[in-house]
Amino acid sequence: MAKGLSAQAKLKKQVLEQSLCTGCGACVGLCPYQVIHADRTVQLFSCDLQEGKCYTFCPRTSVDFDRIRRILYDSKDITAQIGAVKGFYLARAADPHLRAKAQHGGTVTALLQLAMEEGLISAAIVSGQNEEGEPEGRVIDKSSELIRYAKSRFTVSPTVAAFHQMPDGFGGKLGVVATPCQATAFAKIRTSDIEGYAKGQSLGLVIGLFCGWTLSPEKFKHLLGQYDLTYEKIIEMDIPAGRSVLSLKTAGSDVEIPLSEVDACVRTACRYCVDSTAELADLSVGAARYGGECCEMAGWNQVIVRSETGAKLMNLAGAKGVVEILEAPAQAFDALKAAAAEKKKKGLKAITIKTGSAKKLLYLSSDDPVVKAYLKG
Amino acid sequence: MSKLLVPASSKVLFLGNEAIARGALEAGVSVAAAYPGTPSSEVIESLASVARERNVYVEWSVNEKVALEVAAAASFAGLRSIAVMKQNGVNVASDFLLHLTASGTRGGLVLVSCEDPGALSSVNEGESRYFARMLEIPLLEPADFQEAKDLTKWAFELSEVIGNVVMLRSVTRMSHASGNVLCGKLPARSRRAAFRYDGPIMDSQAGPMISTPVVAKHLLHQDKLQDAVALFEKSPFNRYTGPARPDLLIVTASACSLYAHEAVEMLAVEKRVGILKLATTWPLPPKLLTRHLQAAKKILIVEEVLPFLEESVKILAAGLSADIRKKPHFGKLDGTLPQAGELNPDLVAAAIGKILKVKLQKLPASYAAEAAKASALVPVREQTFCAGCPHRASFWNIHNAIALDGRDGFVCGDIGCYSMAALSPATGYSTMPTLHSMGSGTGLASGFAKLAPFGLDKPILTVCGDSTFYHAVIPALINAQHNRADITFIVLDNAGTAMTGFQPHPGLPVSAVKETVPAVDIEAICRAIGAEVEVSDPFDLDRTSKILTRFLSEKGRLKVLILRQACALSPEKKGKKRFEVAVDETLCVGEACGCNRLCTRIFRCPGLTWDRTKKKAVIDEVICAGCGVCALICPQKAIVKTDLSVSPS
Repeated sequence: MAKGLSAQAKLKKQVLEQSLCTGCGACVGLCPYQVIHADRTVQLFSCDLQEGKCYTFCPRTSVDFDRIRRILYDSKDITAQIGAVKGFYLARAADPHLRAKAQHGGTVTALLQLAMEEGLISAAIVSGQNEEGEPEGRVIDKSSELIRYAKSRFTVSPTVAAFHQMPDGFGGKLGVVATPCQATAFAKIRTSDIEGYAKGQSLGLVIGLFCGWTLSPEKFKHLLGQYDLTYEKIIEMDIPAGRSVLSLKTAGSDVEIPLSEVDACVRTACRYCVDSTAELADLSVGAARYGGECCEMAGWNQVIVRSETGAKLMNLAGAKGVVEILEAPAQAFDALKAAAAEKKKKGLKAITIKTGSAKKLLYLSSDDPVVKAYLKG
Repeated sequence: MSKLLVPASSKVLFLGNEAIARGALEAGVSVAAAYPGTPSSEVIESLASVARERNVYVEWSVNEKVALEVAAAASFAGLRSIAVMKQNGVNVASDFLLHLTASGTRGGLVLVSCEDPGALSSVNEGESRYFARMLEIPLLEPADFQEAKDLTKWAFELSEVIGNVVMLRSVTRMSHASGNVLCGKLPARSRRAAFRYDGPIMDSQAGPMISTPVVAKHLLHQDKLQDAVALFEKSPFNRYTGPARPDLLIVTASACSLYAHEAVEMLAVEKRVGILKLATTWPLPPKLLTRHLQAAKKILIVEEVLPFLEESVKILAAGLSADIRKKPHFGKLDGTLPQAGELNPDLVAAAIGKILKVKLQKLPASYAAEAAKASALVPVREQTFCAGCPHRASFWNIHNAIALDGRDGFVCGDIGCYSMAALSPATGYSTMPTLHSMGSGTGLASGFAKLAPFGLDKPILTVCGDSTFYHAVIPALINAQHNRADITFIVLDNAGTAMTGFQPHPGLPVSAVKETVPAVDIEAICRAIGAEVEVSDPFDLDRTSKILTRFLSEKGRLKVLILRQACALSPEKKGKKRFEVAVDETLCVGEACGCNRLCTRIFRCPGLTWDRTKKKAVIDEVICAGCGVCALICPQKAIVKTDLSVSPS
């Protein structure tokens, strides 16, 4: 029988050449053949192995959502729009200093700090930058250092690669902060049944981030140049609720770039994404905003608790008082679900336009009930 | 005492190139200049080894053109001189050679071209014999080792008779084989140099050395060439063996005459075939040829590579009687022999057999079967860089930088060991798609860099060795800078002319005769040209890769990276390991590793092999040169290096 394509060649053909690569790093750090450079996944040399974790863990190769949902979540918690929901809250870090340094309510940092201090995890992988200013996954094992990585950059770091590069003998549990694509990769890793591969067991906590899209650093750098800015000058980036601008806080005056201009810098892969709430995380966190008319609850986060692990951590955070928790209004929940559904429709439409068929959905399966629900509409 | 200095009447085993050197010494040569190139290099190395004793000035010149110019100056001053090069070198020297043959020479000047039919150690099998015809100078070709010595000596005398350059052509099988040579006398005294130029312009001995008045000097040049023809008619170096009226006359020269003799013997047709072995292959002595053509029924011309001699014979025959013209002439033009590659006795025997309808006795079937069995046992060996070769690390860095850049950049190659990067994809990691003459990589890169407006917008890189840099790259580099060619120019500086045997070059503070001389700094030259220059050690993968990646990303100018690391076989390194390298078998997880044998499948250093039983990588201690680079590429850190320069205490 003729040999099929190698795992690496399939990854190239089905993901990289299709502009589906999210830059999450799931195929990097497992071997010497793939690296991330300047936000591109580069295949340095060809590997002829038929099977590879690079292909298996990629969030843009086929994903068996049904199986993952069965393993990680309680079936009665599943919603079509935003995945498993055990609870939905408004939250913020109790510590005002932390809130001041973090994006929105600082809930992610507060939860990670707590998990680390309570020994639920012994280290966390967060998004940082290397000396060349390129995003990279950073392993942090001191809770006091976490605050330095609390801001959003609107880019994807190859965080999953940092997980792969952790030594096998790493004893404790790891916490990770993940965009939806990264959370998908981590879910694949956690639920994999590859013989001899048990590293997925070391993932103790996956905190997902709400994500509408991420930026292509190369394109965005070019856009910044038109505003006389560089990445280094930006202190904070945010999209203020109800306004179509990307607001950039710098040492000098603040700059606002219309989202219509920013849209051209969105990573192509993000246009084929159907997950805006990191559905495969233990809990997911985003800015609290619900609907155009409602004012944003400035300085608060929305939190979707999804798994047992997520629920335990959230309860502990409430009990310890490190996070202030409010029951979210039903209006907010509906608004979030509606927005997530919209993203699913948009993503699926982009996919069917790309493939020219409602049967060929790239990494998604046309048999998946959630996919079916949003394919038409 | 050097065997090159043995007294007259001694019989010595000489390499062909040593025989040429001895011939030059017997002729009283005073100046010898060359650029190294296989198979020519031993001529100068031999002369350099006795330079002091024989009062010869010997130099490795920057290139072949300059070597010929240095030799010509000696000739103008009345001294005997020799310029030695491989076939490609004659092309380099040809511009000066054209003008030199027009002005003429004084002291005997011999141009030795050692050629490489079959391109055993070249990237072409170009012929320089055509230069002799084009430039109207005598061409001599020795057919054995005694002749290599005797013809060389005579070439100096001939040069002085005709007042022009004489070309002596050898081939690999002559230059690099050995045979016994009966030596003649070494002259007791050397000549004194004096350059006269106050005489009339047409006075070849006292006037200025120029090619004008062109037509008058050209006619004089051609007249003198006829003096050479007259000598060729009587030359004892042209010999005939065979019957008085052969069925087949073989006209041949050089190593091919040995193949012809062997083929005749193999076929046992000595009584039917005569061999006219010529040493003076241009211009042909017409009377001698006519006599032999007249006596034979059929004619076969045997030579390497192109039908140069065959054309000359046919041109001559065309002017002879109808009787001779009608005789069948066999050779390369009718396809009896191939027009490419080396010849050998089998090919010549097959040609004779076909013409005479004689069958070569076949080998017994059992022998053929055994031979086939044995040949299956010969392991496949790929052309590759030596263990510890800095070029492997350099191309590893180059490959990775091109891959990271992601725009399908490529390298224009050049001449040196690193040429192998183009010959074998596994050696250069498929980065080098062009390879031409010395220095042309930089010229090509300079041109490719100008094609962006036409749609070819890729990073353009080029490489050259340190010796090549001086030989022919500098003009191309200046061209690139002046014309704003956006190229990354990489000097693979391995501290010597490594491929041809570590001859010194202008970058080193030592001469051909081991005297201390000023070194010319590549880095300073590049900076003076105006390029941005970085210097790195190719074994420092991290730093080198970073510089290259930066160079590829920065557009619009000439960037120079000098990768400095001595050749693994260089005298200062050979046999000395910097690192003791070993595979930690507890760390090497073999096929269970995600590396998919990166070390032996991709990196492919011959010092690193795959143990098929243990299914783990293993260092071949005998072959490993101890560079330690493989330790940097193993993702498991299973290859461990111990620095041997640090004493354990």
